[in-house]
Amino acid sequence: MNAIIPLVLDTLSSAALIFFAAVGLTLVFNVLRVLNVAHGSFYSIGAYVAASICAFIVSRHLNPYLSFVALLFSAALVAVVLGPLIESTLIRWTYGKSEAVQILITFGLFLILEDLQRMVFGVQSFYEDTPMRLMGSSSIGGVVYLNYQMFLVAMAVIVVFGLRLLIKHSRLGRLVTAVVADREMAQSIGVDTNKIFILAFSLGVFLAALGGALAVPTSGVAPGLGADTMVLAFAVAAIGGLGQIEGAALAALIVALARVLAIYFVPSLDAVAPYAAMLIVLLVRPYGLFGAITTRRI
Amino acid sequence: MSTSILQVRDLHVEFNGVKAADGVSLDINEGEFLAVIGPNGSGKTTLLNLCTGYVRPKSGSIHLDGRAITGLTPRAITRRGVARAFQIPQLFSDQSVLDNMMLALAAKDGLWTMVRPLAQPARREEATALLDLVGLRDDKNRVSRTLPEGHRKLLDIAVALALKPRLLLLDEPTSGVSTLERFSLMEALMSALRSRNITALFVEHDMDVVARYANRVLVWNAGTVMAQGHPDEVFKDERVLKNVVGVA
Repeated sequence: MNAIIPLVLDTLSSAALIFFAAVGLTLVFNVLRVLNVAHGSFYSIGAYVAASICAFIVSRHLNPYLSFVALLFSAALVAVVLGPLIESTLIRWTYGKSEAVQILITFGLFLILEDLQRMVFGVQSFYEDTPMRLMGSSSIGGVVYLNYQMFLVAMAVIVVFGLRLLIKHSRLGRLVTAVVADREMAQSIGVDTNKIFILAFSLGVFLAALGGALAVPTSGVAPGLGADTMVLAFAVAAIGGLGQIEGAALAALIVALARVLAIYFVPSLDAVAPYAAMLIVLLVRPYGLFGAITTRRI
Repeated sequence: MSTSILQVRDLHVEFNGVKAADGVSLDINEGEFLAVIGPNGSGKTTLLNLCTGYVRPKSGSIHLDGRAITGLTPRAITRRGVARAFQIPQLFSDQSVLDNMMLALAAKDGLWTMVRPLAQPARREEATALLDLVGLRDDKNRVSRTLPEGHRKLLDIAVALALKPRLLLLDEPTSGVSTLERFSLMEALMSALRSRNITALFVEHDMDVVARYANRVLVWNAGTVMAQGHPDEVFKDERVLKNVVGVA
């Protein structure tokens, strides 16, 4: 029993961070039908901005609980600044283009964003764990566990249900669904489809940046985080089925379980485990757990 | 004297050398129900496409309330108060009848209400009232693709009405509708137009419908306006009888 509790808790908290890395990618694909290779960069930029703001709060001896606000604020800041700018100048030109063109364009964007991060934040690692220290720890079944990791799980659950509520019931979600179903029809009733696309893309950027910001207290941020996140996010999106939010949540759990099991029993396979899980799932279900076969328009 | 709300001047459009509009000028007056008739392929639907931004003219101009709308996008023209019901109803097929209505009612709202629920009580009430007006209240929870053609036509019209237009353009509102349903559809439409002070232009092949409901008829033939006037006068015109009524 004592071995199972930490395994479950580690899996859940790891799944939460993996989910944040992938959900924005899958949302953007669902709405805009764009495979955004630069998605991992938004995650790392969110992490750098959150680490910088938290470090500023600490250095100025401000109320340390402001660091929680800083995590959310950083994600919102990255989304508001980069979302509309990148969607309207670059992503918009990839709509309706082949996946190869989309991947080439967004890969170019990824390279630019990675270099920009090195120019702005340097090549050193940032580590800022104030939020995690403030939350302390608890003993669960005799095992001491960081409350911050439970906070991550709660945040992921809130995001899953919040996104579902937003897409199924809000005006934005319903208009997005309408635009995805028939863009021309949506325009004919006066929907500003450009605005809808900007909002949807910025929401995807926000989710990625939020993931990066929330990860800072547990793992810090270092160059290369964007690339690692991007590969992992694609694995999760492939397992869940591209475009499926609930699929991303379940896939994050599968990937996290594979990784935690590897760490516990065969540590040398830690890095390989998520992709082995992806291969097994795709061999059985080539379109992912929740994906459906779509007809290609020629 | 009635005021002209739409002014079309010297429009020229051609597709692969075929003239769909050849120097056409016309006015639509406030409050009127103008019918456009003509043989198949004469360019009637092109007129609607020009007025709603789906086709751009080679030359000429279109003004709505004195402001140029030539070359604007369909969305921009919709936002200026021109709505359209299509010959083949354009609906969100997987959405319910009520949701189609609420999406149309919510389409033009501002950015700040984006995260509020689509199904606001006031919006639901307004959508239900419009469905009542066209006789679709009992269908409101049905998925729109499961409706019979006549009801899909009515829903398309109700969606257009939900956009609160000043000018409504209808492309063959009674085509595909059974003879029994045809006049009840037109009665529902006329009552909705009158109660909301909406001016309308409709392309139609059914001369009984035109004679009964139009205030004015415009006869379109080979990209030009062959005749126009009150239905009684137009239907006595020899050229119209020979070239249009007999073949429409």
